[in-house]
Amino acid sequence: MRWLNKFSLRLRSLFHRRSADAELDSELDFHLQREIAAKVSAGMPPAEARQAALREFGGVEELKEECRDTRRTNYIHDFGQDVRYALRVLRKSPAFSAIIILTLALGIGANTAIFSLVDSLLLRPLPAQNPSELTVLAFRQGHGPLLTQFSAADLRDIRAQASGAFSDMLGHMLAFDGVSLNGKADRALVEYVTGNFFSLLGMKPYAGRFFLPSEGQTPGADPITVLTYGYWKSRFAGDPNIVGKRILINAHPCTVVGIAPPDFRGLYPAPVTQLYFPFAMVETFEAGWPKDLLSNRILQNLYILARLRPGVSLATAQAALNVVAQRLSAEYPETNKGMTLNVYAERFARPDPSTSSTLISAAALFLALVGLVLLLACANIANLLLVRATGRTREMAVRAALGAARSRLVRQLLTESVLLALLGGVAGLFLGMLASRSIGSIDLHGPIPIQLVYGFDWRIFVYTFAAALLTGVIVGLIPALRASRTSISVALHESGRAIAGGKNRVRTGLVVLQVAGSLMLLVIAGLFTRSLGAVQHTNLGFDPHNVVDFTMDPSEIGYDEAQGLVFYKSLFDRVRALPGVQSASLTSSVPMSNYGNNDYLKISDYQNPPGQGLPLVAYGVVSPGFFENMRIPLLRGRSFTEADQKGAPYVAVVSQAFAERYWPNQDPIGKHFAKVSGLTNPQYEVVGVAKNCHFNDLTSVIDPYFYLPLGQDYALSSLQILQIRSAAPPDIVIRETQDVVRSLAPDLPLFDIHTMTESLDTLQGFLLFRLAAGLAAALGLLGLTLAIVGVYGVISYSVSQRTHEIGIRMALGAQRAEVLKMILGQGFVIVAAGLVLGCLSAFAAARLISNMLVGVSAADPATYSVVTLILALVALLACYIPARRAMRVDPMVALRYE
Amino acid sequence: MGKPTDLVQGTLDLLILRTIALESMHGWGIAQRIQFVSKNALQVRQGALYPALHRLEQQGWIRAEWGDSDNNRRAKYYSLTGAGRKYLKKEQANWERLSSAIGLVLEAAES
Repeated sequence: MRWLNKFSLRLRSLFHRRSADAELDSELDFHLQREIAAKVSAGMPPAEARQAALREFGGVEELKEECRDTRRTNYIHDFGQDVRYALRVLRKSPAFSAIIILTLALGIGANTAIFSLVDSLLLRPLPAQNPSELTVLAFRQGHGPLLTQFSAADLRDIRAQASGAFSDMLGHMLAFDGVSLNGKADRALVEYVTGNFFSLLGMKPYAGRFFLPSEGQTPGADPITVLTYGYWKSRFAGDPNIVGKRILINAHPCTVVGIAPPDFRGLYPAPVTQLYFPFAMVETFEAGWPKDLLSNRILQNLYILARLRPGVSLATAQAALNVVAQRLSAEYPETNKGMTLNVYAERFARPDPSTSSTLISAAALFLALVGLVLLLACANIANLLLVRATGRTREMAVRAALGAARSRLVRQLLTESVLLALLGGVAGLFLGMLASRSIGSIDLHGPIPIQLVYGFDWRIFVYTFAAALLTGVIVGLIPALRASRTSISVALHESGRAIAGGKNRVRTGLVVLQVAGSLMLLVIAGLFTRSLGAVQHTNLGFDPHNVVDFTMDPSEIGYDEAQGLVFYKSLFDRVRALPGVQSASLTSSVPMSNYGNNDYLKISDYQNPPGQGLPLVAYGVVSPGFFENMRIPLLRGRSFTEADQKGAPYVAVVSQAFAERYWPNQDPIGKHFAKVSGLTNPQYEVVGVAKNCHFNDLTSVIDPYFYLPLGQDYALSSLQILQIRSAAPPDIVIRETQDVVRSLAPDLPLFDIHTMTESLDTLQGFLLFRLAAGLAAALGLLGLTLAIVGVYGVISYSVSQRTHEIGIRMALGAQRAEVLKMILGQGFVIVAAGLVLGCLSAFAAARLISNMLVGVSAADPATYSVVTLILALVALLACYIPARRAMRVDPMVALRYE
Repeated sequence: MGKPTDLVQGTLDLLILRTIALESMHGWGIAQRIQFVSKNALQVRQGALYPALHRLEQQGWIRAEWGDSDNNRRAKYYSLTGAGRKYLKKEQANWERLSSAIGLVLEAAES
C-alpha cells in the first residue's frame, strides 16, 4: 500500500505541478501569518512582527525549491528541458547533426538488417501455442551420425512410451508434388504430416477444418489437404469456395478441407510449405514408395516435433527418452540396435539439430561484425562530439558558474547525444528494413519457395532501440564527462585553444581503435573472399559449363512407369536433334540441389562395423550418356547403355569413394549390393567405377555415391532433370526445349530451369560462401570508410589546432618538407599502432571462425599483408591531405591568427 | 549520505513523527509544539521543517489533508500513516538504544 500511496503522490506532483506549487505557497503563507499573529499577540507592533517573521523564515524561494526536490519528479522536468534544449542545439547546426545521424543510421541500419535476418531464422518462435514447450527429437545408432528422420513405427512407439514427459508428438516430411486444377498443373512444396499436426501446434483453421488425429494412419484412406494461406491466395486466387473442392495431386483426386491461418508458414525457418497431407497418403500420391511405410522401421522419413508436458524439463524428457531408446533397441535389434535418443529445444535446433550449431555461430559472427561496425561509427561520432565539446567549453563554464551541478551538465550533454542516436536509430531502422528486404529477395536458385525475412516484429524494434540508446550513451559519455570537468575560471579566462591543445589523447586513441577495428573487418572479409575463390576453383568432378537444367516429373500428370519411360525416350531423341546440342542426359539429382535419394545398403564382402547401423548412401537414377554428358570420367568398367532395361540383370555404377570405402584393395567390378527400402530390393552388380564428384556440398570429404540406370529403376525417381549441353545460348536452348516438352506432354510442368552454374549457387553450393563474402566485404568497406574519416578528422583537426605552432616553426626556418614529415609522422604513428592492434585482434577473431573457412588458413599471410597494405596506403593518404594544408601554412597569417 | 546533517535530520524526523502521533497538526503547530514540549530547548526552523514534512509525506510515513484551522483559515494538517506508526516505533526504539549507549559511555568516562 505504501508504494501505491507514494506512486500516486509522484503522479500528482508530476501532472499537477502547478496546483502542488500553489498548495506549497498557501501552506507557507499560513505559517507566516500564524507567526505574525503570534508575535502580535505577544505585544509586537504588526509591521515589526511581519519583519521579524520574514527574517526568521529565511529564503522562501530556496525553501520552496527544497520542498519541490523532495517530490523527486524534477528529473523528469529537467529531462523535458534538456530535450527541448538539445533539439535547439541540433537545429542550430544542421550539417553537424545530419552527419552524425547519417553515420549512426549506417551503423544501426547494418545492425538492424543482420538482426532481422537472425531474428527470422533463429529467434522467432513457431506460430504455435506455448512455443517454449516445443522440442525436436534426433537419434544416433551406435557411433553413427546424428539423424533427424524417424520411421513411422518408431514415432508411434516413442510417442506412446514417452507420454509421461511429452503431451504429444507429431511427425512431418517434406516433398514436392504436382498440383493441378482444371487441367493446369504446377508443383508445390508439400508436407506429409501425422493427423495430430495442427492440434499439437494449437492452431485454429482460417477456413474449413484441420486433420483429425485419426486421419493419416490408414494408407490411402484420407485423400484430403489443408492449404496454407499464402498458397490459397496465390494459386487459387483466394477462391472463397475452395473448401470442399477437388484438386489433383500427382493426378490423384484430393479434397481441400481447410486453410491454415495467415501467420502460419510451416515449421521451417526459411522454406514455406504450401499444402499439407495426412502422412499415410504418401503411398497413394507418390509413386514408387514402398507399401510398408507405416510399419517398416528402416523407412525413416519423419521429422519429430514433440510438445513437453507443462513443467517438464528437457533433462526429465531426456531421461524418459533414454529408457524408451533402450527398450526399442532391445525389442527391435535388427533395425534399432544401439539407438540413443536426444531431445532439443526447438529454438536451438534450427534448421535441424545436426547443423544448428553452424547457423548459430554464423549468426553470432555476423552480429559481432556489425556490432564492430557500429562501434567504429560510435568512435567517429564520439570524436565529432569531442571536438564540439571543446568548442562549447565556455558555454559549460558559464552554466557551471550559474550554479548548474556537474551531474546536471553531464545529463544535459547525454540527452543531446542520446537524442542524436535515437534519430539515427529511426533512420537506421528504415535503412535496415531496405537492406533486409534486399537480402531477403536474393534468388536462391532453389526449387523451394523460400522467405528469409518476415517483416518486422517487436524484437527488431527492441534491438534497434537498445542499440541506439547504448550508442547514445557510449558516444556521449566521454565528451560529456570531459566538458563538465572543465575548471570554470580557466575556461572563462582563456581562449578555447589553450584547453584544446595537447588533450587529444582520447581522440587519438579512438582513431587507433577505429583503424584496428576496420582492419579486423577487412581481414575477415578477405578470408571469406579467399574461401569463395577456393570453393569456386574446387575441382567439382564434373563440368557444369554450357549446361541447362530442366526439372520435370511425369507422375505429376498421372503417367505410369511405361508411359514415363516412353516420354523420356522420345524427349531425349527430340532434344538431341536440336541445333547446337552436343549431348544430353537425365538424372534424378543434380549436384548441390534439394532432390536426391539415399538408402541403407547391404553390401556383399563388406563387414558392417559392430554397433553401427547399415551404411546410408546417396544415389542417382541416370540415363545412358550421363557420365559422358557430365564429363565424369569412368575409372573402371562401363557406363549405362540402352540395354540396361527391365528384364536385364540389375546393374550399378559406384563412385571411387564407394569402392574404396567398402571394398578397399579389391576389384569392385562384379561385386554386389542391395538397397533395403525399395518396393523390390534386387541385388545390383557393379559394372563401373566413376570418378568422385562433389554432390552434396563443397567442403566435406566426398562421401560414397552410386548410380542406377533409369531404364531399370524409373520407379525410384520419376522426377528427372534433363541436362542439355549445347553450344547455343541458354535462352534459345530453354525456348526450344520448352517447345519440345509442350508438343510431347502439353500439361507437364517444367520447373527449376537454370544453367547448371546457376543451379550450383544454392545454399548447399556457392551461395553461403558468396553471401558471407559479400556481407563481410560490405561491412569491411563500411568500416574502412568510417576509419578513414576518423583518421582524416583527427589529423586535420590537429593541423588546425597547430597552425599557430607551425607558423612559428616556419618563421624560425623549418622547411615545408619538414612540416609535411612532422604531420605525416603523427598520422603514421596512429595508423601503425592501429594496424598492429588490428592484426593481433584479427588473428584472434579469424581463429574463432576458422571452421567456416575453406581452402584458406585463419593466418593466411597473403590476406593479412594485402589488407594491411591497402589500409595503410588509404590511411596515409587521408593524413596527406591535411598535412599538405599544414605545409602551405603562411607563417605571417598563422602568427596573426587568433 | 554520510553527511553530518544526518543525525540532525533523522532526529527532526523522529520529533515530527512523535509530535503528530497523537493528533494531526499543521506545520506551525508542530514547530510550536516541539518548542513548547522541549521547554524552548529545541527550536525548529521553517527552512528545515517543511522540506522534512514533504519528504516524510513522499516516503509515505505521514499523510497531509487540508482542514480548517482554529482561526478559520485553511491549513494543511499532517497525520501518521499506518506505516509511519510502525516506522516511528522502530526509530524510537533505535533512538533510545543509541542515547542510552551514549549515556553509558559518557558515565564511564566521568568515573
